Amino acid sequence: MAHAAQVGLQDATSPIMEELITFHDHALMIIFLICSLVLYALFLTLTTKLTNTNISDAQEMETVWTILPAIILVLIALPSLRILYMTDEVNDPSLTIKSIGHQWYWTYEYTDYGGLIFNSYMLPPLFLEPGDLRLLDVDNRVVLPIEAPIRMMITSQDVLHSWAVPTLGLKTDAIPGRLNQTTFTATRPGVYYGQCSEICGANHSFMPIVLELIPLKIFEMGPVFTL
Amino acid sequence: MAAPPEPGEPEERKSLKLLGFLDVENTPCARHSILYGSLGSVVAGFGHFLFTSEIRRSCDVGVGGFILVTLGCWFHCRYNYAKQRIQERIAREEIKKKILYEGTHLDPERKHNGSSSN
Repeated sequence: MAHAAQVGLQDATSPIMEELITFHDHALMIIFLICSLVLYALFLTLTTKLTNTNISDAQEMETVWTILPAIILVLIALPSLRILYMTDEVNDPSLTIKSIGHQWYWTYEYTDYGGLIFNSYMLPPLFLEPGDLRLLDVDNRVVLPIEAPIRMMITSQDVLHSWAVPTLGLKTDAIPGRLNQTTFTATRPGVYYGQCSEICGANHSFMPIVLELIPLKIFEMGPVFTL
Repeated sequence: MAAPPEPGEPEERKSLKLLGFLDVENTPCARHSILYGSLGSVVAGFGHFLFTSEIRRSCDVGVGGFILVTLGCWFHCRYNYAKQRIQERIAREEIKKKILYEGTHLDPERKHNGSSSN
């Protein structure tokens, strides 16, 4: 989860998120260089002794400041498109989970190997145990195996919601009447948090998502296969 | 940005953010690129000044040198970093496969020895 006043991205828990962090670093470096150039140009503008206001011909400069931004945009677009297509790769998921948004909780359905369905409500502050995270912890977590491709089918029963888990690089809208799909493969075990990312009413901020990622051997012993 | 370190873990380096957003300490290759860029900027700018004695133009050359050298070092370093990550991933997968399949018919070493003896 994010720590207090965190501005940057969380550590990656999936290969796609690692790629996104790499791309973010790349874009930030380009932005830094552009900002440095602009700051320098601003400094020159403020300190110049030149006062001729009738300059009207600057063909070379105009050529440069048209072609250079186009090149910069291509340098940013190519890695971005690469990651975009990577997220759409076909990878034969081992498990499919349905996630249904409601006002203001999530319902999860594990129907591949049985009929496990449960609701996931945020823990009210009065019910928190010591060590629990306020506004993030839930009564029933989504338990999933690591190192296995997982497909999430996301929809909503009432208004728009969005199922997001930043550390996995996931954010998918839950739209009533529509089934959206996202896939991911988690690389390390742990408990990972997310929050509803589409305004959905009074308690929009109080319907978090908690994934508990565990080794496959332990997952196979759980209620998904034994119920 | 990483989570706060657990007890016993090495502490995360204090982040230095250039222009308020570029974290040079925790972004791979950023510190290396900025340092070489600064050096390139000083060399280019000062060298231009020595030859021409023009201050403003030398400053322009210095800034241009900073941008070009930083960008060049950045791409070069990130390319090598990406290659290193791929090699680490392949090595990790091979070690995992070896541990899982050692002694079985799927042992990669057995397959390799079998093909070399043929």
